[in-house]
Parts: sequence; structure tokens; C-alpha cells
Amino acid sequence: MKKMIITNNDWVLKKYNGKFTVVYIDGTFKDVLLAVRDKLHLGHELLTHPLGSSVKPGETPIKSIMISDEKNKINFSSVYMIENAIITYDKFNKEKLKFLDDKRIEDFKLIDLTVLESALNI
Amino acid sequence: MKLELGYIFIKDIQFSDVSKVEDGTLYVNKEEVKALILEDQNFQKADVELAKPGESVRIMPVKDVIEPRVKVEGPGGIFPGMINKVETVGSGKTNVLKGAAVVTTGKIVGFQEGIIDMSGPGADYTPFSKLYNLVLVCEPVEGLKQHDHEKALRFAGYKVALYLGELARNLTPDEVEVFETPTLTEGLKMYPDLPRVAYVEMLQSQGLMHDTYVYGVDAKQILPTMIYPTEVMDGAIVSGNCVSACDKNTTYHHLNNPVIHELYAEHGKTLNFIGVIITNENVYLADKERSSNWSSKLAEFFGVDGVIVSEEGFGNPDTDLIMNCKKIESKGIKTVLITDEYAGRDGTSQSLADADPLADAVVSGGNANEVIELPPMDKIIGHVEVADVIAGGFDGSLHKDGSITAELQVITGATNEMGFNKLSAR
Amino acid sequence: MLKVVHYINQFFANVGGEEMAHIPAEVREGIVGPGLALQQAFKDEAEIVATIVCGDSYFNENMDEAKKTIIEMVKKYEPDLFIAGPAFNAGRYGVACGTIAKAVKDELNIPVLTGMYVENPGADMFKNDIYIVATKNSAAGMRDAVKKMAPLALKLAKGERIGASVEEGYMPNGKRVNFFEKERGARRAVNMLLAKLADKEFQTEFPMPDFDRVAPNPAVKDITKAKIALVTSGGIVPKGNPDHIESSSASKYGKYDIDGVMDLTEETYQTAHGGYDPVYANIDPDRVLPVDILREFEKEGKIGSLHRYFYTTVGNGTAVKNAKAFAEEFSKELVADGVDAVILTST
Repeated sequence: MKKMIITNNDWVLKKYNGKFTVVYIDGTFKDVLLAVRDKLHLGHELLTHPLGSSVKPGETPIKSIMISDEKNKINFSSVYMIENAIITYDKFNKEKLKFLDDKRIEDFKLIDLTVLESALNI
Repeated sequence: MKLELGYIFIKDIQFSDVSKVEDGTLYVNKEEVKALILEDQNFQKADVELAKPGESVRIMPVKDVIEPRVKVEGPGGIFPGMINKVETVGSGKTNVLKGAAVVTTGKIVGFQEGIIDMSGPGADYTPFSKLYNLVLVCEPVEGLKQHDHEKALRFAGYKVALYLGELARNLTPDEVEVFETPTLTEGLKMYPDLPRVAYVEMLQSQGLMHDTYVYGVDAKQILPTMIYPTEVMDGAIVSGNCVSACDKNTTYHHLNNPVIHELYAEHGKTLNFIGVIITNENVYLADKERSSNWSSKLAEFFGVDGVIVSEEGFGNPDTDLIMNCKKIESKGIKTVLITDEYAGRDGTSQSLADADPLADAVVSGGNANEVIELPPMDKIIGHVEVADVIAGGFDGSLHKDGSITAELQVITGATNEMGFNKLSAR
Repeated sequence: MLKVVHYINQFFANVGGEEMAHIPAEVREGIVGPGLALQQAFKDEAEIVATIVCGDSYFNENMDEAKKTIIEMVKKYEPDLFIAGPAFNAGRYGVACGTIAKAVKDELNIPVLTGMYVENPGADMFKNDIYIVATKNSAAGMRDAVKKMAPLALKLAKGERIGASVEEGYMPNGKRVNFFEKERGARRAVNMLLAKLADKEFQTEFPMPDFDRVAPNPAVKDITKAKIALVTSGGIVPKGNPDHIESSSASKYGKYDIDGVMDLTEETYQTAHGGYDPVYANIDPDRVLPVDILREFEKEGKIGSLHRYFYTTVGNGTAVKNAKAFAEEFSKELVADGVDAVILTST
């Protein structure tokens, strides 16, 4: 199955653009979730859990999610899962995200990359 | 498989010229411990501190907590596949320094988390405030990669725990507890009038700082399998998990798995404890499907009437938990789930990221978003500036007087999903 | 000393039963009826300075007026706490207790408390807004109710931290609160599993979100031949509301013949619903119950036929249990009458 990665992590873009379809979102964690939701509505299938990693939405601004490149009939369990992820995202206090320095953002990019790679078996 | 745990109760910890255990006091030669840590060239500096119950001490950021144990009789050694050879453990005799622990700290990444307060209101939430702790503060060499740092710190903890455990080798235990699980065929014949019960233990397995190891194997690479409960007591499962302080299972939790202990306590009285099924929590959804298929298949194969399922971590594991529940229940096997909640600071949000009506028996470890106040402590072991950035902390959470306002999730082990604690929520 | 104002109905004030339920609100200095037990439980920490007595019918039928009057009465005493009830299983009393307690809390910004039986319709309506202590289903449970209400009342009046629902005795209100259990989680899990295995009663610590989902029936095979019925919770009734379906917390439903009725008009139909602005529904009741369109469809052959009767009730605060009971009853009639499909409209 061909895979598509939706991400706001430029490390993922750099490393996997070309190997997969990478859709880079210049935005927040929430923007990534919404972009994925929109794709799922078009019939793409969710391949990784949108809340992969125990690093919480109130801590990290970085997110990569893998979906199928192909469209098919709408997959309701995918839609259910992304909707629950959006609800979960919304309940976290995001105050901290305003005060992140570059070093910490890099750490989040690294964690996000390894979590994604754990699903790629790399 | 039969294991005798010999407990040597530790009631104090002190530094001394010679490491030893005498009259319930654990004496530690600081220099020897430092030298042991610095054997690893990834560390440029190491410090060792003591933290005792009731002291005005805050430890942060905590990575892992490990109980010192030593294999006295029987095959293998503690932490097989990690430190000792891959030999099947869980039988014979093991001595335990009960009441003592090794705590590893270190800033692997900028958002490192985990607080243990040895006194005050924060101490009520963590089981480790009741222990006599040897705290390792390790400084990595310049430029050490996060992967290597995590691994080095993990191994430093095991090595020091084994070093302390070794002190118990020739001691006579204050108390001995015997745990035995027979083969499956024998086990199923035992206590024909009692319901047969298994334990499904979910292990966090999602990448760097989210990993658990079984006999040295990264748990994301396993298919769900069975393990004798006594193997776990000898360190067959260890934690490499550094995120979600409140609901990650430290190595201490694995060694003292409360579900295993409570099921043994009822074994032969009200239930027949058949065994343990371990499964993982991978990010890839097809893995989640496969693993939950497998865990439910094993539960069916074991012929049990009921299972307890324990979770680890936040977010996506809720999906594994619900999949396990649905698939096991649909085989006519009754389930009880142990989880914790993220219900928001005011407690009104949806607690879990997944749900199902079949999950009608759930034990809650509490709401990790609830805000708590931690008063200032006289002494901080580790890195105080971490308070502002740890999970659940927010700008201004570290006040001028050293007190901290933060969500409960900052506290190591506070909402444990093995049911280690008394905390709950309604 | 903390000051408390207490609200009770005509029955507990010993004024009379149903025949006296019409009396408007009046205030009496000091303690009346069940206030005595509360006062004893408060000891010297709080004093009931006034008791407001109001008839249940009066309150429910003149809600806005009653609320306004009672809030004025309460305000005068500047109390630290307002207690209503307990109402046990008395439905209208429960709704009154919940309504007035919530109003006092919202308008006067003082803590409030009430108590009632869990199946009292007032419980579902207000348990997420105010603290409601779960009581037994009759006044015989007064002692037990007071035992739970008095300590919680004092905590509320003093502004102390309120613990979890199981500790304090209030009904779960959708707000999760941490507390320490007597046993650790793993032990509780084993106990719960043993109970579940033995088919004994057990209580989950985290009830899953409400899954009152209904699996959809297979699609109607041929809609052009189907007999369609209309059912609504929007309160559409013949003009004058002949069966007196209540404007809220309905205790009944109506079944009305629309044989030959092509259009619902302002002159012939209206809504009985008290939970939304009725103007547009009253001008053209088809907006809630689309008889006109279905008649057109019937004529054009888009549907087989419109069923001769429609069923109606008011969904405003009506207990789910009641609503279910209504549907269980009339759906049997629908089946017996050969209805193939139902269009449910709400507001």
C-alpha cells in the first residue's frame, strides 16, 4: 500500500519526501489533525494513531500522521479515531507551547520522527 | 514455575566506606557507585544523592525507579537479556532490598519530566516517596545523542541496582513469600470450582523514550505472548519509557506488578490465576489490530473466564485498551480494565481517547490533569529549572519561592495504570 | 455563624397535599418542617434563618414569577447557602428544587444544595448544574438524606474543597474529581472482576460515555408503497391542548387523528412545548410536524400513505425513562396499524 505522511515536522519532510507522499503543513498540531480529517473524509485510510506517542498535545507542537495514499470508500473507524483525537487535543491547556525554545522544539521533532519511524519499521 | 522472594526490609540509607546491609540500614560507598556509572564513557560526571521519606527533598526529572534484587538460587540473573544473559528467570530464590530504590535522573530531552517529592502533599501521590532512594545524577558527555543518552542512563540504573542487590546475596530474609504457577494443563485442573483468570499486560512501545523491553527485545517487535508471572519479578520486563511520568510503568512497577501480586493473593481462594499475557501498544494501527487479535486469542486459548487488562501511557494506548476489551469480551471472557483519565483541569472533558459500551468495568487511577500545588522543598536533586517545562507545567508554574503549580501528570507514578496506587476519580 | 435559607413545598411545610399545591411562595422566619433535622445536624455552625414555602403547582405553572419572587426573598437574608428540599421522588417538587436552586446560584452567586431520588426528573435536569444529594425514594429516607446533606452543605457554605461524588454523596455531575480510595487499583480491579464473574452487582469507576445508540433498521424497500407515520417531541397538539400535555417534564403523550387534515394551521394546532420560542411553531405547526409536505408526497405518489394518527409529546426536560416508556407503548400500535416507517421530529 502506498503511504502518505501529513506532518508539520520539517525533519520528516526532509527525510521522506520522495519516498512517500509528504504533505507538509506549515501550522500547528491541530492543523495537522484537521488536514488528516479532511483527507479521511475524502476516503483515505488512517494508518498510524493520530495520538501516537505519550507526549501530550499540550507539550509538543509537532505531529506526523500516516494515511493511505489511495482513496477508497470512507473508512468510518478512521473518522471516529481522528474525531476523538481532535476532542482529546482540544482539552489540553496549550499555554506552555508559547514558551518553547528551539532546542526543545528540535527534541520534539526528533521524538515525532522516531515515533513515526516505529511505524515504518526503519 | 516457583519463585521465593526473600525480603530484606530497608529502614535507612547512608553513605559509608563499605557498601553493605546491616540491621536494616543500606550503607552505600558513593565512590564505587560513581565509578560504576562512569565505566560508561557516555558520562562525563556522575553524582549520587540520598533521598529518604519525610525529607524536604524534591527529585526531578526522574527517568526510572528500580528496586535492588539479586538472584540467589535458580537459573539466570536479574534483568535477563539486558545485563545478564538471556536465560529464563522466575524460579529459585531472589532476594530483595524491600524499601530501597535506585532513581535515575537526567535531561535527555528538553521536556524531560517526572517529580518525586519526599514529603508534603506531592509525596501522597507517588509511591516512591516512601522508599529509601539512591538518586543518580549523571551528566552526559558533550554532544551525546538522545538515543545513546537514554540507553546509557537506563543501563546506569540497572547496574547500580544490581550492585546494591548483590549486597543482599548472603543475607537471611526478614520475610519470604513464595509464588508458584504450574504448567497450563496442571493449572487448568486446579481449583475446578473457581473462575480462571489471566492478566493482560499492555507495554508501551512507540519509539524513542516510549519503549519497554522483554528479555532485551524491544516490545514493539513482539507478538503478544505468555510469560510466567514470576519471570516478571526477576526483571524480565524493564522500562525504557521516559514520557508521561504519571502513567508510565517504571521498572520498579514491573518488578512489583500489583495486578500479579493481587491475583496471587486470591489464587486458590476466590480465583485460579492461570498466567500473564503481554502485549504492546504500537503506533501503526494494523499492529494494534494484530496485537489485540493475538491477546484475545491467547486469552481464549488459555480457557480463562476473566481477565484484567492494564494500560500504560496516554492517548493512543486507549485504542489498544478498548480493542483488547472488545475482542476479549466478544469471546465471552469478562474483562476489567485499569486506566487513568485526562478529563481536563476542571474534570469535565471526555476522559479517554476511545470508548466502548463493552468496557463496563473500569478502574480509574485518577485525573492526570487535576492541578496541584507543590510547596517549596529545602533541597532539589536534579534540575530545578525543569519544573517549568515538564509535562503539565506551564509558564509561571515554578514560583519564586520554589513552589510549583502543575497538573498531577508531573508526578512520577501518580496515576499508574497497573493500579499501584489508591488514587482514583469519580 | 453561617446563614442558611431553606426552600420546601406545601406538603413538607404541613400546609396540605395536592389540594394546597397552588399556594404561592411565602417566607417564614426560622425553621419549618424538615429544616429542624438539618438545623440539628448543623449544630452551632449554621443557622436556618428563613424558610420559603411554595406550592408545587404554583411553582411549575408560574415559574418565572415564582423564581423572581423567591430570589427577592432569599436576597433579603444575605445567606451563605441556599438549600432546597430534599424532594425524594416527588417529581414536580424535584423540578422546583432544581430550578430554584440553580436560579439562586446563578443570580445571587451563593452556593446551593438540594437532594432527591436519582429517578426524580429534576435529577437529570439539574445534576450537572448544582450539587444534588442522592436520597431514598420516599420521605422515610429523611434521616439518611440529612446525614449526607448537612456536612456537604457546611462545606459548600464555607467554600471548602468538595471531594468526589462517592465521598460526598452527591450525584455524579460530569466533573471528575480525584480522591484516595481505601484499596489500591489492582485490588479494586480483582474485586470488580470477581463480582463481574459471579454476575454480582459492581460499579465501574469510569462509566463510558452514554452510548444510547440505536442500530438503524434496514432501509425501507419501496418508499412509494410505504405507510409513514409522524411522531414528534416538539409538542404539536390540537389547539387548546386537550390532553394537557405539560410544557416541561411531560408525563404523557398524545395520539391525534389527522384523517383528512391537509395542513396544520394556526387556528387548529399549536405547540405545548415550553422550551423554545413557540411563535413560529404556532404560526405554522407544519414547521415542526410536516403534515402538509407529506400530504403532497402522498398525492404525488412519492410515499404510499400518511398514517392516520400522529403521536406527540414535549421533550423539554422529559425524563429519558418516560420517553422510552411512551415509545414502547405506541410503537406497538404503529406496528399493529401496519406502519412501515416513522419520521421523528424534534426541536
